[in-house]
Amino acid sequence: MKYGYYPGCSLEGISAEYDDSIRSLFKRLDVTIEDLPGWICCGTVAAPSMSRLLGLATPLWNVARAKQAGYDQLIAPCSACLYHFKHAAQQVAESPALRAEVEAVLALGVPLASLPPTVHPLEILSADAFESRINQLVQRDLSALKAVCYYGCHISRPAKVMQFDDPENPQSMDRLMKWVGVQVLDWPSKVDCCGAHFSLIKPGIVVDLCTRLFESALEAGAEAIIVGCPMCHANLDTRQDEIAAKLGRPLNMPVLYFSQVLGFALGLSPDVLGFKKHIVDPVPLMLEKCHLSA
Amino acid sequence: MAFRHEIEALSSQNANLCFQCSKCSASCPLADMMDLKPAQVMHSIRLGREEAVLNSTAIWLCLGCETCSARCPQQVEPAAAMAAARVIALKRGIQPSVKEVGIYYRGFVDNMRLNGKIHDASVAGVTQLLTGQFTSSLPMAWKLLTHGRLKPPPLPFGGGGFRRLYNNVLAKERET
Ligand code: SF4
Ligand code: SF4
Repeated sequence: MKYGYYPGCSLEGISAEYDDSIRSLFKRLDVTIEDLPGWICCGTVAAPSMSRLLGLATPLWNVARAKQAGYDQLIAPCSACLYHFKHAAQQVAESPALRAEVEAVLALGVPLASLPPTVHPLEILSADAFESRINQLVQRDLSALKAVCYYGCHISRPAKVMQFDDPENPQSMDRLMKWVGVQVLDWPSKVDCCGAHFSLIKPGIVVDLCTRLFESALEAGAEAIIVGCPMCHANLDTRQDEIAAKLGRPLNMPVLYFSQVLGFALGLSPDVLGFKKHIVDPVPLMLEKCHLSA
Repeated sequence: MAFRHEIEALSSQNANLCFQCSKCSASCPLADMMDLKPAQVMHSIRLGREEAVLNSTAIWLCLGCETCSARCPQQVEPAAAMAAARVIALKRGIQPSVKEVGIYYRGFVDNMRLNGKIHDASVAGVTQLLTGQFTSSLPMAWKLLTHGRLKPPPLPFGGGGFRRLYNNVLAKERET
């Protein structure tokens, strides 16, 4: 299997620790990933709000280049990028006229038929094949850690587009975290929205939505929230002082990427995994909760 | 073209399938802030209430979280209808009724034209300047800076691929 890798703008910018942890994790698991050469931004909600054609051509430029590069799958760790890839690919698959239009503006000479699938890293790692591999490599036992897995909007929603996991009660991250011992708690907010990009323009909305998430995480007894999207991470990690004021109680809950938790369990150091870049420092909790296993 | 057909053409769906159960409105995280709730947007589209939809706060407050589309029992996609309405509103020169969102989307695409990728700190800074939130965003910027999260902007030498496709899209849309 030849994997292409599309980090996306967030992972090159404020969410570099997600990128670091994904790269070091795949390396630890002996899975080779290759950066998509010359990738461009997926366009997110902005491009399709300007023009439908721009909103389809921008993400598909990357998928077409992945096809050109001969990848079997293109990995996108940001679930928003991933949604735009999958959505655009589906739109052109359903309409030959639209496909021809997008092919013309892309002008890459790549037919947009039988494009390689784009996948979230969770889709690769939560497959059965990795269970025994991960079990063999575990160096730190995390069975004292109580956490909730937060999937947010696009890891599995909408099902018609994402075609992965259960859109209302996804399990892939839960599974993976249980493999390394984490006590994954049930909670009702797995797929609620964090407010995403409104952080820049309507921060009050983000604080409101994230306050609800922390309320239910606390109610469930979580010591940490585990995520798989750079926007979810930024919103939950960077605004805890404002959220604490709303909740009327102190809040200092580490928010970790699944790739950081997994990497940590497999023996990677907090430095390599980018723990220091978090606003809420996860190191004390993680060190307290892990037992070095033989 | 009737307004409903315009929306349908841009969002590949049949708005008439909506049977007004309001499950979308009940699921929408921002419904309580919208002037028209997602189910009302769908109904207004069918009634041809073009002005009401294109000037609504709903279409700009929509985050694209897809909860509405995912849960609709009729496979209607309010999220896609909202995106189509944003495109139509901008084409007609209608100012986004939530102006910060309009400024942000425009600035985002403009930033992409420099390098094909965005530089997140520049997009944030420009958006916050233009929406009068610069001062209030400084504590966050400081927090990120001191945690090694902000990078300097790259020189605008990349992104030829995006500029080419952007110009091709403009040319194509001028034709039609
Ligand atoms: S959920 Fe679907 S059918 Fe029900 S009101 Fe919304 S769009 Fe209409
Ligand atoms: S996609 Fe938009 S309209 Fe639909 S539930 Fe999310 S915010 Fe509401």
